[in-house]
Amino acid sequence: MAFLDINHASKSFGGADAVQDFDLHVEKGELVSFLGPSGCGKTTTLRMVAGFEVPTEGTIVLDGHDITNKAPSQRDVGMVFQAYALFPNMTVGDNVGFGLKIAKKPKDEIAERVKEMLGLIRMPELGDRYPYQLSGGQQQRVALARALAIAPQVLLLDEPLSALDAKIRVELRYEIRRIQQELKITTVYVTHDQEEALTLSDRVVVMSAGHIEQIGSPFDIYNYPKTAFVASFVGTLNQMRCRVVDAAAGKLALGDQQFKTSAPIKAGTADALVMLRPEELHMGVREGDNSLTGKVESVAFLGSVVRVHLKLGDSVVTLDALNERKLVLPKVGENLTVSFPPHGCWVMG
Amino acid sequence: MKRFPVWSWFWFLLGMLYFFIPLVSTFEFSLRMIKGKYTFEAYRVAFEDPRFYQSFGYSLLWAVITIVISLLLVVPTAYWVQLKLPKLRPVVEFITLMPFVVPAVVLTFGLIRLYGHPPILLTNTPAALVAGYVVLSFPYMYRSVDSGLRAVDIRTLTEAAQSLGAGWGTILKDVIFPNLRVALLSGIFLTFAIVMGEFTFAALLAWPAFGPYIEEIGAMRAYTPQAVSVMSFLITWGSIMLIQWLGRGARGAQVQVGGAR
Repeated sequence: MAFLDINHASKSFGGADAVQDFDLHVEKGELVSFLGPSGCGKTTTLRMVAGFEVPTEGTIVLDGHDITNKAPSQRDVGMVFQAYALFPNMTVGDNVGFGLKIAKKPKDEIAERVKEMLGLIRMPELGDRYPYQLSGGQQQRVALARALAIAPQVLLLDEPLSALDAKIRVELRYEIRRIQQELKITTVYVTHDQEEALTLSDRVVVMSAGHIEQIGSPFDIYNYPKTAFVASFVGTLNQMRCRVVDAAAGKLALGDQQFKTSAPIKAGTADALVMLRPEELHMGVREGDNSLTGKVESVAFLGSVVRVHLKLGDSVVTLDALNERKLVLPKVGENLTVSFPPHGCWVMG
Repeated sequence: MKRFPVWSWFWFLLGMLYFFIPLVSTFEFSLRMIKGKYTFEAYRVAFEDPRFYQSFGYSLLWAVITIVISLLLVVPTAYWVQLKLPKLRPVVEFITLMPFVVPAVVLTFGLIRLYGHPPILLTNTPAALVAGYVVLSFPYMYRSVDSGLRAVDIRTLTEAAQSLGAGWGTILKDVIFPNLRVALLSGIFLTFAIVMGEFTFAALLAWPAFGPYIEEIGAMRAYTPQAVSVMSFLITWGSIMLIQWLGRGARGAQVQVGGAR
């Protein structure tokens, strides 16, 4: 039994399944992200943990106690919302101390805890301000402090950075991770931003259409996707429909160009979908690697990376080359040979 | 260079004249009790009449009771509809608009017919009158509260409070009511103004309220009723100014929900 068990939870709204058979076990102090596109059921699952939705099936167990049918106010979970949800009529200090006031803690204890929390979010001097006097990033820090002030067993964050601009988002992302690790608090984080999920999490739960596609560490999710959806949703992915030449030897063909893969190919299949990350492709020929030649369709300079689109057979693949001063940029329309290691690609179906 | 908005000012002034000429005329007439000069004699006469204070006092008391009952009835209802039953909003809106559709006379006779006989005998108590006032204030109170609720992200604030351990009573008292301050004040003062000037309910149920008093002295005297009418207007305006003053810099109105600053 883990610290937080979501046991085969399902939720349907008027007959439509929002979440199906969601089974996850979160260890104490772990940060788990739910990652998926809009409408995949990640927020609904989080809301089931928070108590705002009751599962149609399944149970939710926190620290050995079944909380499936408990009211949100009885669950001992802290929640941070996308829309900050600070109480506009209260100062920052009153917002942070609200949960402690509800718990009827002594005034001096509340004051001490508020001070501690404001220190944790690095806003010790802003306790007397009202939410409207703060920036979006500051408001979300206060929301985090408010959720943490009650020392909940689990911290739930529902797309907390979505409403912020890019720079603040990155800053706050590291801030959340720092605080989570400092407090060693069990955390569930909902996001549709793959970079956010991969950066922050101990484990990532990739969801699609109400069910779990894959659970794994960020490294595993990115490098060893188990389904085509995970492969395409997490990171940029090249997909090429290839002819199987020799399944046992891992030989494939794209048009009249042959290459090898170390990934297993199901015997008896005539063709397969080959997947390849853009960073696995390199310009030029490299010894021991596969080589394929195609026509350059476009070259985009993205700062630290140069992105090249290349027509290979019927597919257009993306290649990301690290920007170096000595790099010779290919020209649109010319032929370019690219190489990749046999272990750099994997095969589906 | 920006042109002077002639037509905007024309229509604005026309509107102001349409609104103010009858009021100024009433006020001017109320000052002419003593022939040949302007005095506040009519106001003095009005203030010397003990029935003025009695009827004003009654109406004031009933207005306060009406406001309390309306708030207790409308705020939780509008809140619950917004939070849990949004599909019911058109139905509730329709019900609250009924006092605009059904004339006050019909409403009063309905009350008399229903509560004028046992088992529930209310027409000889102010309860029936206050109940009528509560119904009459529904459209104003509900719309004020509903628009206030729509301006704040009530659902998220409620859920935030719940996740911090708050029960429904605390949420309403500490989170919802304070953030509806301006909306509640609007509803309160509109209800106050309506009750203070209401005639039909009070007259038909035979209660000595301020509305029937103005009507009664209007039938007997020429200048005093005009003075009382002006005072009635002043009470209403005072209420509106109080809303503006109390609602100035309302923090709830400035809250930013979502979006970077």
